[in-house]
Amino acid sequence: MIRIAAVGDLHYGDGSPDILRPSLQHLPDRADLLLLAGDLTRCGGPKEVQVLADQVRDLTVPVVAVLGNHDYHADQEDEVRRVLERAGVTVLEGGAVALDVDGVRVGIAGTKGFGGGFRGAHGSDFGEPEMKAFIGHTKMLSDRLEQALTALDADLRIALLHYSPIEATLEGERLELYPFLGSYLMAEAVDNAGADLVLHGHAHHGSEKGRTPAGIPVRNVAQPVIRHAYNVYTLDANRQVLPAAAGGIS
Amino acid sequence: MTEERADYLPEHIREKLIHDPRVSEQDLRVEVREHRVLLGGNVATPQLRQTITEVATEMLPGYEIVNETSVVPAAEPDGEEPVS
Repeated sequence: MIRIAAVGDLHYGDGSPDILRPSLQHLPDRADLLLLAGDLTRCGGPKEVQVLADQVRDLTVPVVAVLGNHDYHADQEDEVRRVLERAGVTVLEGGAVALDVDGVRVGIAGTKGFGGGFRGAHGSDFGEPEMKAFIGHTKMLSDRLEQALTALDADLRIALLHYSPIEATLEGERLELYPFLGSYLMAEAVDNAGADLVLHGHAHHGSEKGRTPAGIPVRNVAQPVIRHAYNVYTLDANRQVLPAAAGGIS
Repeated sequence: MTEERADYLPEHIREKLIHDPRVSEQDLRVEVREHRVLLGGNVATPQLRQTITEVATEMLPGYEIVNETSVVPAAEPDGEEPVS
């Protein structure tokens, strides 16, 4: 059984108190890896993310992260990424990593993802250049996610996102915001490639649990949703996983 | 203040709070009643909650700031969830 600790939307500010610190002491006893689902900072400042980097630096479990929209706000996302990487965090954007956890190969494909909406009401890359750029960005990131997941050689595969791939984990948010909270294109990518679990953040007023149309479990781990320092999900590496094309995972 | 300004004031306050680097919080609810500004939503820390009151007071002289935001708990989880 692989234990995955996950949280997103920690929103560290420069000099803000560390939310995770008291809980991190026990995390290695409770989980095999820690996944961070973006929005690690308030304004995307390298000093802000340094607070988090200092806390996870000495963790004895692997830490894998994606960035969120807040982490891009200061146009210093590359430096934010470097601060995390210097602390030993693997930061994914369109790529993947495979970790050996007690002999089980756990693969994580990650992307920030982006918005657009959901089936029946998704934006199109049609019309003004701004609209083409908006939806084009989501399409590009979703394509990369599918490629990264497909290429993963692992016993368990996890998609780590910031934006939501499904509507169910947005329940509680205002409907008008849905196009800015996620896109079905990421769910389609995950369903095409197959995965055991999808984690995302971003939707602070959403719900924790849902599934993709093919049945892959999705968890919204935004800290205001889970209302803990992190949640722990366990995955059984020995269970029979059906390919998505055969009707999904149950 | 014109009637139109009153209609849009809560959104202007919300935008200013999002763009103030001391706050940068996108999930605040803002309501204006006469000369009282009610702020709601979730915040990560007691410090941020206090900062929001200070920034709103500085931003809106002459208004009473009623900060009804809640600090989200962040203790360790009680258990774990098997996912399949």
